[in-house]
Amino acid sequence: MGEMEELRKEMENLKDQITAARKTFQDSTLQEAAAGVTVVGRVQLKTRKTLRGHLAKIYAMHWGTDSTLCVSASQDGKLIVWDTITTNKVNAIPLKSSWVMTCAYAPSGNLVACGGLDNMCSIYNLKGKDGNVKVMRELAAHTGYLSCCRFLSDTEIITSSGDCTCVLWDIETGTQKTVFAGHQGDAMSLGVSPDFKYFISGACDFTAKLWDIREAECRQTFGGHESDINAIGFFPNGNAVITGSDDATCKLYDLRADQELLTYQDSSIMCGVTSLASSKSGRLLLAGHDDFNVNIWDMLKAERVGVLAGHDNRVSCIGVSSDGMACCTGSWDSFLKIWN
Amino acid sequence: MTQDQKTASMMSGQEEEELPVNHTGPKGVINDWRRFKLDSLDPTVPQSKRELLRQMSSPREDDKERLNRKMSAQEYEMIQEEDEGSLKRYRTQSMQEMHERLSFGPAFEEVKELESGDAFLEVIEKEHQMTLVIVHIYQHGVKGCEQLNSCLDCLALEYPSIRFCRMDAVATGAVERFTPEVLPALLVYKAGESLAHFLAVTKHFNEDFFATDVEGFLNEYGLLPKKEFTAWADDEDEGGDVE
Repeated sequence: MGEMEELRKEMENLKDQITAARKTFQDSTLQEAAAGVTVVGRVQLKTRKTLRGHLAKIYAMHWGTDSTLCVSASQDGKLIVWDTITTNKVNAIPLKSSWVMTCAYAPSGNLVACGGLDNMCSIYNLKGKDGNVKVMRELAAHTGYLSCCRFLSDTEIITSSGDCTCVLWDIETGTQKTVFAGHQGDAMSLGVSPDFKYFISGACDFTAKLWDIREAECRQTFGGHESDINAIGFFPNGNAVITGSDDATCKLYDLRADQELLTYQDSSIMCGVTSLASSKSGRLLLAGHDDFNVNIWDMLKAERVGVLAGHDNRVSCIGVSSDGMACCTGSWDSFLKIWN
Repeated sequence: MTQDQKTASMMSGQEEEELPVNHTGPKGVINDWRRFKLDSLDPTVPQSKRELLRQMSSPREDDKERLNRKMSAQEYEMIQEEDEGSLKRYRTQSMQEMHERLSFGPAFEEVKELESGDAFLEVIEKEHQMTLVIVHIYQHGVKGCEQLNSCLDCLALEYPSIRFCRMDAVATGAVERFTPEVLPALLVYKAGESLAHFLAVTKHFNEDFFATDVEGFLNEYGLLPKKEFTAWADDEDEGGDVE
């Protein structure tokens, strides 16, 4: 018992040293630096399109890089690829399992992927020779549910899992290239950096980790949240990380300063954050909560500037297109809506 | 109880108090699956396993190890190919319950006239937290106000769950803020918080506008509830490319 106590004390000491070291670099706060910036004013978004076709709660959605097509995954056991301009369904892909947690669109637009309680990441080829969409690969090796997946290219994809690890896969061979272990709790979400060199993961150990993909190492770990991190994303310029947690707050961490810059919280918000997306400029943060409500924050001033879909809290997932022109929300009543 | 607990118990109507669960994200999927397993009339799930599922859904506070892991080894074993029929029933039932949860609340019949700033605050702060409050600030003689009033009279009948109110700009006690250029104004509140405000709202409509125009406008901002829940007709869509 004595040795455990010693090690625990050493660990606490090291943590305190890190915190102190980080503090020495903190010469200002983001709010002080942004004090002179003009206020954003109230943000009220309008529905432009409604995408109808799913039969149950939408669990996840992801925009294609062309900012026109997007893919959604629903409890009805289907992946649907939508043309958000015409609202037509481009593909409707039946899944083996209804319990899908994540879906992703490859940057090329050729592939989509999904996974969930089946512990696998299934890759589908949208551009097959005979026109039918078929499973191209089933990436199976995780010993826990697949919480999130994001393509690096048509040949590589990164997944996060309830087995606490993240994995880089070779899609051609269907094998694991790198296993990123280190989280002490289920990995819930991941985001890839704009230059595709790094990715970040948020987990149920209340931390976010920055990983170097090629060096296969964890570069930085960010703490501070008081509960599970459910959603994570890179700030548009790739220099900061945004997290959303069950502690009902979002946080902004700067990678170069290696510390937290801001916490987005309000005493009236008591419900956990389960999805997030930032505007293209990074000025606005859309935070989706577990009560199906979406709060819109001014990221610089840490002030709430609006809510999305005011009434009937319905939003189960959100995503902002890469050109920043629209936001897509999935709801528990089977619809997706495009807003701006 | 926290908001989540209220939501959970309202949703399932179970006697035992439900611990907070996630409804969205991967944890939402896990909890939906657990509910499906518990609710489905699956005779092959033995009594002991049902009890296990119930226990897994409510981790003990003192078990820190357990809290970091959201699914147990036993639960992973219970995942299997599910019967499409019971899945369909579960989905419809879940959505129906959510709709009912949201229609739960007081019903109103007409537009209420607010006579003072105090009455305004009372409505904003005291209404049921699920009730949407829409206040129309008008002034006699200002173009569009009378038309908007009749539109809201109609909408009040169509959307009984919404608390429609109207108030003379003079009665607000803030006449400098509600000058004729910004009237008529529509202010939308819920649970004491401002959701939206539309000044000179009639600039969004044509000269002649009707209840449907106002309804459509409010709908665009996601402010109106669905009038009724229609169960989806499940057409057999076998997948592949759809035009």
